[in-house]
Amino acid sequence: MVVLGFLSGCVSSRIEQSRDASTGIKSDEAIVLLGRASYNEKQTEESFTECMAKELGRGEKPIRLVGQNQFRDDLYPWFEPRTAPASADELGKLFAQPGVKERIDSANVRYLAWIDGDTVTIDKGGSMSCAVSTFGGGCFGMSYWEEDASYRAAVWDLRTMTSTGQISADANGTSYIAGLIIPIPILARPGNAACKGLANQLRKFIVGEI
Amino acid sequence: MRLAVVVKQSFLVMAMLLFLPSCTTSVVVEGSVPTPLVSVIPARVGVYYSDEFRNFMHEEVIRDSGSWRIDLGRQNLGFFQNLTKSLFTGVQEVDQSVLATEEIVNLNDVFVSSEEMKNLDGVFVPTIKKYGFLTPSISGLKFYSASIEYSVAMFNKVGAKIGDWSIVGYGKSEGGMFSSDDAVNEATVLAIRDGGARIAIELIDQPAVQAWLQSIDKSIESSAVIPALDESLKILDGPLSE
Repeated sequence: MVVLGFLSGCVSSRIEQSRDASTGIKSDEAIVLLGRASYNEKQTEESFTECMAKELGRGEKPIRLVGQNQFRDDLYPWFEPRTAPASADELGKLFAQPGVKERIDSANVRYLAWIDGDTVTIDKGGSMSCAVSTFGGGCFGMSYWEEDASYRAAVWDLRTMTSTGQISADANGTSYIAGLIIPIPILARPGNAACKGLANQLRKFIVGEI
Repeated sequence: MRLAVVVKQSFLVMAMLLFLPSCTTSVVVEGSVPTPLVSVIPARVGVYYSDEFRNFMHEEVIRDSGSWRIDLGRQNLGFFQNLTKSLFTGVQEVDQSVLATEEIVNLNDVFVSSEEMKNLDGVFVPTIKKYGFLTPSISGLKFYSASIEYSVAMFNKVGAKIGDWSIVGYGKSEGGMFSSDDAVNEATVLAIRDGGARIAIELIDQPAVQAWLQSIDKSIESSAVIPALDESLKILDGPLSE
């Protein structure tokens, strides 16, 4: 039962990167991950940026991170969904606002990574039914769903006020639940795979190859 | 045996009755109150918060989600108190009821005493015109969303309206199956922040506000000239009297 509980489905993922400028970070410098929120049906899940922050903050070369809520509060109202700069070209204008540059300098934030994307279910099917009676109960059948996780990180250097590059992660996987009296889930977690892939690539992008 | 069944059934009915009121979801909106990092508008203003603004409550019955009671008054008031303190050089809350017996200036039914107005350059009156929220079952999206329509009116020293602006704030939040109240809370906090952000950034750039600020500068300059003239008269008086 325990072994069955840990069954996981297959996930295929692809990571791509394009660099515009050289990078590097000192141990006391920090990065901040901000999820893009646009006013349509899509929004980067907070759980995804939290997962990335967790990945970047541990390992052989952990990176100091400033939490996105803390950063947004400290720099309110300049990083709200409708007021945040859309491109690195707008950073100069933003830094001219009173107190903005001082606040970023005091937190020693060197890089800002905008995380954009989401996980969507692209296909699902099968059927499973569960029943309970006085003689017992159980589930029979099988259902599946295929998810696609597509995320992108746009990295800005706040010291030079330029864009340093972009990294993208795409992951795809199909999950199953088989009902053989008890339901047995075989879960693929493309969102988790995209998180780890994007975080590790972002670390390499900023720190250098590990 | 029969009595036991009756007692059991009574308990079941009682338990069901106890659970009936839980169909209403009550949300007392709470969240962070950030201090805006913006250019200060060089003016001393009175701010009037109506009782409706202070205690704003939204109640709605949604077919698939039951009754909702959303109390956003306290969070909204705290947010605006912090916002106005950062936005203007000086802020003083004005209270209509306390000042009702004094000589008053009528600002579209907001009454401020003439005595108080001597120390102010204008009055800022925010109101909530509309609040609404959507659950995933209504919108068909993965998110809970909220919107607040604010109206912000500004009056000058003599009670004439400088301008009246309508600002809509939006917010949305991911919602789990068992955390719909948290999601509505977060979406509402984000909607308040969004509306506040627009006020903080855009109010100073409004032509009517710019014209009002220029009129304040002129009145300061003219009032500064009079004591200077007095001083020069005193100097001239001095030697003449001696």
